[in-house]
Amino acid sequence: MNKPFILHMLTTAKNLSPFDVNMAVDAGWLAAIPYINVEPNEVCGLVQDTIFSRSPKGLKNTGIFIGGRDTQQAMDMLKNAQKCMFSPFEVSVFADPSGAFTTAAAMVAVVEDELKTKFATNLTDKSVLVLGGTGPVGQVVAVLAAQAGADVRIIGRELAKAQQIADICNQDFGAGKIAVTASIDADKADYIKTADVVFATGAAGIELLSAELVASAAQLKVAADVNAVPPSGIAGLDPFDNGKAIAGSISGAVGIGALAIGNVKYQVQSRLLKKMTEVDKPVFLHFEHAFAMARDYIVAAK
Amino acid sequence: MAKRSILHMFDPMPNNSPFDVNMALDCDFDALATYANVKPDSMHRMTQDVIFSRGPKGVKQTAIFIGGRDIGVAIDMLNSAKKSMVPPFEVSVLADPSGAFTTAAALVACVEKELKTKFNKQLKDCKALVFGGTGPVGIATGVIASLAGAKTCLVDHFSSDAAQSLAEEYNRRFKCNLSGTIATFDEDKIQLIEDADLIFCTAKAGIQILSAEVLSHAKQLKVVGDVNAVPPSGIAGVQVNDFGAPLAHTENAVAVGPLAVGNVKYKVQHALLSSMLTGEKPVYLDFIAAFEKAKEILNS
Repeated sequence: MNKPFILHMLTTAKNLSPFDVNMAVDAGWLAAIPYINVEPNEVCGLVQDTIFSRSPKGLKNTGIFIGGRDTQQAMDMLKNAQKCMFSPFEVSVFADPSGAFTTAAAMVAVVEDELKTKFATNLTDKSVLVLGGTGPVGQVVAVLAAQAGADVRIIGRELAKAQQIADICNQDFGAGKIAVTASIDADKADYIKTADVVFATGAAGIELLSAELVASAAQLKVAADVNAVPPSGIAGLDPFDNGKAIAGSISGAVGIGALAIGNVKYQVQSRLLKKMTEVDKPVFLHFEHAFAMARDYIVAAK
Repeated sequence: MAKRSILHMFDPMPNNSPFDVNMALDCDFDALATYANVKPDSMHRMTQDVIFSRGPKGVKQTAIFIGGRDIGVAIDMLNSAKKSMVPPFEVSVLADPSGAFTTAAALVACVEKELKTKFNKQLKDCKALVFGGTGPVGIATGVIASLAGAKTCLVDHFSSDAAQSLAEEYNRRFKCNLSGTIATFDEDKIQLIEDADLIFCTAKAGIQILSAEVLSHAKQLKVVGDVNAVPPSGIAGVQVNDFGAPLAHTENAVAVGPLAVGNVKYKVQHALLSSMLTGEKPVYLDFIAAFEKAKEILNS
């Protein structure tokens, strides 16, 4: 008889996200068991309890999900989890704190696809602004766009914070191979003039790019916004937009709204959760895998 | 319609153990509910909420599991649950904090079996040492061995006081006869093991407690059991799959390795969990039940 699929869901927060629980159960996990307020140094104990209670065969039907709010911490927990296992006592682990990894992956992949289909180009050497870029989604968007070859600038309300996040992106997530820069929100009017792509990743209900700034973006191609709560983060952009021309853009830019991003994000998270149940060798999944999955999904959906 | 089986998992720790979750679901419980931060004083209320919501027939498909890290607390919780039953509203309860009861039961039963088949001796004829003896598995191992008649000493790496006070506490609780001591350096260990018949190693995973050189001083050593599955082994020379294999660096001792113990432990925990769903009468299962089950499994 096959062992039931069990997903052990770890979070540093005081509750799991019901979003992740629904996704896990819908992806085929029979049981989604919560472990809350988990300190990063407790990961090893939980992982070893997981791997030593099933046979290597049973472990193929066992997984660990890492949630929480903090991207850096989630990556550390993922690495710790991987370190605490040894063949053949291994299970797949998937980190997606606040859904940020899959959301960011979907956002960048959809934008990349618009660049390709509408402008016959890609992210290489594009000037990219990440507005409200100090949050979990913004950080990972910056990293993925930079890894795809873009020249990325994180814009935040405080320069010191934005700079600190850019450093984390470059050193921790980008392994020193990318060079994301940082600027203060007050200066965005200058940078928007030469921006090719804008990602709005701020808090819900805050307009990060006014109609006036949209009109001044002379070479803007694609603008994407994760905010589904009115007013939208980018003036003239609707949550349902999926490659529609942005009203008031002088460069013919197109917009990607929260629901278009959300649809891809949902598919990516679901497919990664499913992948964990299907692989023969354990996988350790984070934003890079989410991005690869998002690209694959977009191609396959055509 | 038949009621689905439910296991309520009470744990005094901030989280349940994934180990127990895997075991319970592998044991065909249909649904599993985890409860963290459950303290002994809330067991009465929690237990009565379990028994009064399903009817006398439904309670037969309902059980309680008690986890945690502290075996004294787990026993208190088990006793409190038992007292809170109101027949015919009663359910079975299994206590196995950190898997300590089933691990210790399997460890002692495996060692006892080798002692009998290879040396024709019983636990009561032996002096036993439990290295890493102040953790949950170590204490439970000590209690089981002591109750079976072995002259048993809990050995702590850092503190003689900790070992002695734990020995006294568990002697009071279970009417056994443990002693406690410290062994930090190789000289201490050599002195201790010179006349030991049995050595149990239940120390932290991945740390070698007894080196080959220390082991060579054990003149009466018969059987060692090591539950550490993360290299290096807790006792030098023990292989993970050993079950009665000769132990290097000793005259004629044999070894029981972690996967051999783990295999029996797994069967014990599985059998105990299953027995909560199959019996007509509710059962209250602790390390003594686990040890009996382990012996039964090894003899079958």
